[in-house]
Amino acid sequence: MSEDAEKGAVPTPAFAPWDDPQAKPLIRFQGVTKKFGEFVAIDDLSLDIYEREFFALLGPSGCGKTTLMRMLAGFENPSMGGITLAGRDIVPVPPNKRPVNMMFQSYALFPHLSVADNIAFGLKRSDMAKSEIAGRVDEMLGLVQLRKFAARKPHQISGGQRQRVALARALAKAPKLLLLDEPLGALDRKLREETQFELMDIQEKLGTTFVIVTHDQEEAMTVASRVAVMDNGRLVQVDTPERIYEFPVSRYVADFIGDVNLIEGRIETLTKDCATVVWAETMPPITAGLPQGIGAGEACVFAIRPEKVTISAERPPDAVNALPGKVLDIGYLGNMSTYHVELANGQVIKSQMTNQRRLARRAFSWEDQVWVSFTATGGLILMA
Amino acid sequence: MKPMKKSVLAALSALALATPALAEEVHVYNWSDYIDEELLVQFEQETGIKLIYDVYDSNEVLETKLLAGSTGFDVVVPSASFLARQIKAGVYQKLDKSKLPNLVNVWPEIAERVSVFDPGNAYSINYMWGTTGIGYNVKKVAEVLGDDAPVNSLALVFDPKNMEKLAECGVHFLDAPDEVIPAALRYLGEDPNSGDVDVIAKAQPVLEAVRPYVRKFHSSEYINALANGEICVAFGWSGDILQARDRAAEADAGIEIDYKIPKEGALMWFDQMAIPADAPNPDGALKFLNFILEPKVAAAASNYVYYANGNKASQQYLNEDVIGDPAIYPDEATIKNLYVKEAYDQKTQRFATRMWTAIKTGN
Amino acid sequence: MFNFRRFFLISVPYIWLLLLFLVPFGIVLKISLSDSALAIPPYSPTFDLSAGWAGFREMWAAFDFENFLWLVDDSLYIKAYLSSVWIALVSMILTLLVGYPIAYGMAKAPEEWRPTLMMLIILPFWTSFLIRVYAWIGILGSQGYLNQFLLWIGVIDEPLVLLNTSLAVYIGIVYTYLPFMVLPIYATLEKLDGDLLEAAEDLGCSRISAFWLITVPLSRPGVIAGCFLVFIPVVGEFVIPSLLGGSRTLMIGKVLWDEFFANRDWPLASAVAVILLLILIIPIVLFQRQQQRAQEAGQ
Repeated sequence: MSEDAEKGAVPTPAFAPWDDPQAKPLIRFQGVTKKFGEFVAIDDLSLDIYEREFFALLGPSGCGKTTLMRMLAGFENPSMGGITLAGRDIVPVPPNKRPVNMMFQSYALFPHLSVADNIAFGLKRSDMAKSEIAGRVDEMLGLVQLRKFAARKPHQISGGQRQRVALARALAKAPKLLLLDEPLGALDRKLREETQFELMDIQEKLGTTFVIVTHDQEEAMTVASRVAVMDNGRLVQVDTPERIYEFPVSRYVADFIGDVNLIEGRIETLTKDCATVVWAETMPPITAGLPQGIGAGEACVFAIRPEKVTISAERPPDAVNALPGKVLDIGYLGNMSTYHVELANGQVIKSQMTNQRRLARRAFSWEDQVWVSFTATGGLILMA
Repeated sequence: MKPMKKSVLAALSALALATPALAEEVHVYNWSDYIDEELLVQFEQETGIKLIYDVYDSNEVLETKLLAGSTGFDVVVPSASFLARQIKAGVYQKLDKSKLPNLVNVWPEIAERVSVFDPGNAYSINYMWGTTGIGYNVKKVAEVLGDDAPVNSLALVFDPKNMEKLAECGVHFLDAPDEVIPAALRYLGEDPNSGDVDVIAKAQPVLEAVRPYVRKFHSSEYINALANGEICVAFGWSGDILQARDRAAEADAGIEIDYKIPKEGALMWFDQMAIPADAPNPDGALKFLNFILEPKVAAAASNYVYYANGNKASQQYLNEDVIGDPAIYPDEATIKNLYVKEAYDQKTQRFATRMWTAIKTGN
Repeated sequence: MFNFRRFFLISVPYIWLLLLFLVPFGIVLKISLSDSALAIPPYSPTFDLSAGWAGFREMWAAFDFENFLWLVDDSLYIKAYLSSVWIALVSMILTLLVGYPIAYGMAKAPEEWRPTLMMLIILPFWTSFLIRVYAWIGILGSQGYLNQFLLWIGVIDEPLVLLNTSLAVYIGIVYTYLPFMVLPIYATLEKLDGDLLEAAEDLGCSRISAFWLITVPLSRPGVIAGCFLVFIPVVGEFVIPSLLGGSRTLMIGKVLWDEFFANRDWPLASAVAVILLLILIIPIVLFQRQQQRAQEAGQ
C-alpha cells in the first residue's frame, strides 16, 4: 500500500501541528532517561507536544507514563536529557514555580477547605489581587457547573463533583499545560463517558494544552488528539487515535489498542503492491498490503481487527481471503455480536458483526459451518 | 533500717517450707526493712504459728487503711503520735497484759514517755524509738561553714546565715509538719508540744526565712541524697541518717556522714506495736508481741536496724556499735533533753498542714 | 418489637459507666458533703442500712456544703487548681513541640521502619512508670549522668541544679506523656495523602508553606486528641512533681494527697476531687465533641 493510500484511508484532521515542520513544540523531551536506582523508568525518550494539543500517554502500569508526567509537573527530575517548556529549560524549576498544573488521580482535594477555597488555593499563592480571586473562582465554578456547591467541603459532594472540583482547581491558574493523571479512573462507566466529552469541551473552550495519563485505551482514543503508546519506558508509537488503531506499528500496539486477531506466519512472496503470508499447511496463504521492514521468507504476524472480518455461509465469490471454519462461541453485545470461529487447524478468528436483524432471525448459530473473509487492506503484516 | 540482703531469701524459703503444717496465722504489718527476717522464722518455730508479714512505708498509708477498717492485720506498727489519735478513733483493742509476761523487760523511762500518747500503755508496746535531728556531710559542711560549724545546734538549719551558705551544697528537710514545726518552736524557746495555733504560727517566719535555701522537703529521698553527696545537710530521722552514713561508708567514695542530736533538744519518736480492734487473731498477736518483748529478740532487732528499742533487759545483748553509739543510745542527760509531741487535733492539724503548704510553696 | 440482644449490647457500656464512674463518683460526692470525724471511717454521717429510709433521711439532713465553702475561702485551693492547669498547659505545649516532629519523622520514615519506630515509642511503657521516673533522678541529679557528661565535655564547671526544679517536672511530664501525644498525631499524619502535599506544591506552595497550609491543619484532630490526652491527666498529676519537683511546685494532686493522708480529712479531699473532676469535665466534653466531629468528617 502506498503512502497516499494510507493518507486517503484516514482523513487528515484540521488541527495537526505535528505535521507542520514550522510549528514549535510547547514541550520537548530530548533524550530523557530516568532511573530509580537500577530500575530504568524512562529510557532515552524524545517527544514533542504542541500547544492546544490533548495529548494522551497510554500504557500498562509500570510503563513509565506516570514518571513522564511527574517530570513535567516537577516532582521528578530526569537522570539524563533535557525538558523544555515553551523553549525554556524547566528541569531546575521547582514544581511551585512551573506554569504547569496537575489534576491528581486521587483528586487530592484539601479536605479541610471548601470547594471554593480549594479552587482559590492556587490563586492565593499567586500574585493575583485578592479582589480578582473571587471572580476567578466564580468563573471556574461556572465552568464546571458547581456554583451551588461552593461552600461545601469535599466530603459533602459526590465523586463526579469532586472530579470537577479537581479540574477547576487545576485550571484556575490558567496554566500553560494541564496534566491529568488518570482523571476519570474513579468514576463509574456511564459518568466516565459523559465526563470525557465534558473534558474535551473544556479543553476546546480554553485552548489549554492537556496531557493525560491513562491505562484505558478507549479513554485515550476518545479524548486525545494524539496518543503516545508506551512500553518499558519507551515510546512505541505516537500518532492520532485513528492511525494508532488502523495502523499500529507493532504487534504490541495492535494488541494493546482494541481487539485484534493475530496470526503468526512467514512472508512467502512480495510483489509490487501486496504480500502473501503462509501460516498453516492446510490453509491458503493470506494476501495483504506490503509490510515495512520485513523481507520475503521472514517470520511475521498478521493482525486484523474483528470488525474487518466478515462471516458468511457460502464462500464469497470475490473475496481475496476466505477461510472455512465453524462457529465456536457467540458473544451478544446488543448492538453487535462477536463470533469466535474455529478454523480447521484450530486457529480461532474473532469476527464482529452489527446486529442489523433481530436475534431470532440471526443467520448463524453454534457449530454452524461458515466462511470468514476479509479484504487485502483489512489487516496488516507486522514484525513478529 | 540496715539493708537486708543476705537473709531475706533464706527466711522466705524457710517460711514457705513451714507453711503446710501450720493452721494458726498471724498477720503483721510493719515498716519496710524494719526487722531481721530471721526473727520471723524463729517466731514460727517457737510458736508453730504461721506468720504473714507485710510492709508499708508511711504512717499515712497505714492510717488510711486502719480508718477504712477491716484490714485483716493482727499487729501494726504506727508511730506514737499517729497511734494516739487512732486510739481515739477506736482503731485498737486494749492489750491483755496477763498474756504479756515479758512486759517486765520494758524500759520504764520510754514507757513513761509513750504514755503521753497511750495513757497507761494500755494499747501498745514500744518496738523502736529514735530522734529527729541533723544529718550532715562532715567534710562539705566544714568547707562551707568552717571547722566550728554549729552542727550540734538547730541554728545550723534554722539560722538563715548558715542556711544561705549551706544552700549551695544542698539541704533537705523532712516533709512532715509534725516534726519540723516543733523543732522550729524549740529553736525559738517555745513549747514544741503546743497545740495552740497562735504558738504554732510563730514557727512560720522562722521556716520562711530559711525556705529559699531548702532544696527539697521530702521524707525519704535524703537517705540517698546524703549518701551520694547530692546534699550536705538533712533535717531528718536518726535511723535514716545512720542508714545514709552506712551506705556512704560502704560506697567508700570519701563521703562521711554524721548524725547529731541538737543541743537544744530533739523530738523523740516511737514506733509502737498495737493490735487493731478487728484483728482476726488477737491471741496470736499477743504471742507475737510477747516474743518481741524477749530481751534477746529485741536486741537482735536493734542490732539489725540500728535503732534503740524500749526494752531495758535487751541492752546487755546489744552489739557495741549500737549501744555505744550516742546517735542511737544517747546519754542520760541528752535523753532528758528530748521532748515528745502529741498529735494535733483536727482543727490544729488542718492549720499546721495549711501553714506547712504555705511555707513550702510560698502560697 | 423489643430486641433483647440490642438492648443488651447498648446497656453494656452504660452499666460500665454506672459501675466504674457514677457509683464511685456518687460515693466521693457523698463524702464531700459530710464532716470529718475521728472515727472509722473518718467522717460522718455514715449511711446505716439497717436504719432504712429514716436512716437515709437523717444522713441527708446532715449533708452540707461546708467543705466546698472552705475551698473557696482559702485561696490555696484556687491557686493550686490554677497552678495545676497552668503546669498542664505548659507541659501540653512542650509535649506538642517535642512530639510533633517525632510523629512527623515517623510518618515520613520508610514504611518498613515504621513498625520499629512505633515500637520504640511504645517500648518504655513496658517498664514500670515509677522506675522510669526514678531513672530521671539518676540522670538529673547533681552527680547524675547529665551533669557528669556536661562536666566532662567542659561546658560547665559546677554541677547544675536540675533535680527538684520545675524544669525537672516538665522534663518528667514531657517524657512520660510523650507517647500520648506522638501516637495520635502519627496516626493522622500517616493517613495524610502525599498527593495533597504535591497538589499544594503544584498549586504554588513551597514545601514549608505546604506544611503549614496542609499538613498542620490536617493533623489537627491528632494534635487535639494528643493535647487532651496529655492535659487531662497532667492536671491531676501527683507522682512526677513529688519525685522530680521541688517543694515549691504547687499542684492540686499534692494538695489532695495532703488533705487525704496528712490531714485525714476525707470530706475535704473529696470536695477537692469533685471540683477537680468538674474542671476536667469541660475539656473532656470538648474532646468528645471533637472526636465525634472528626469521625463524622472521616466518613
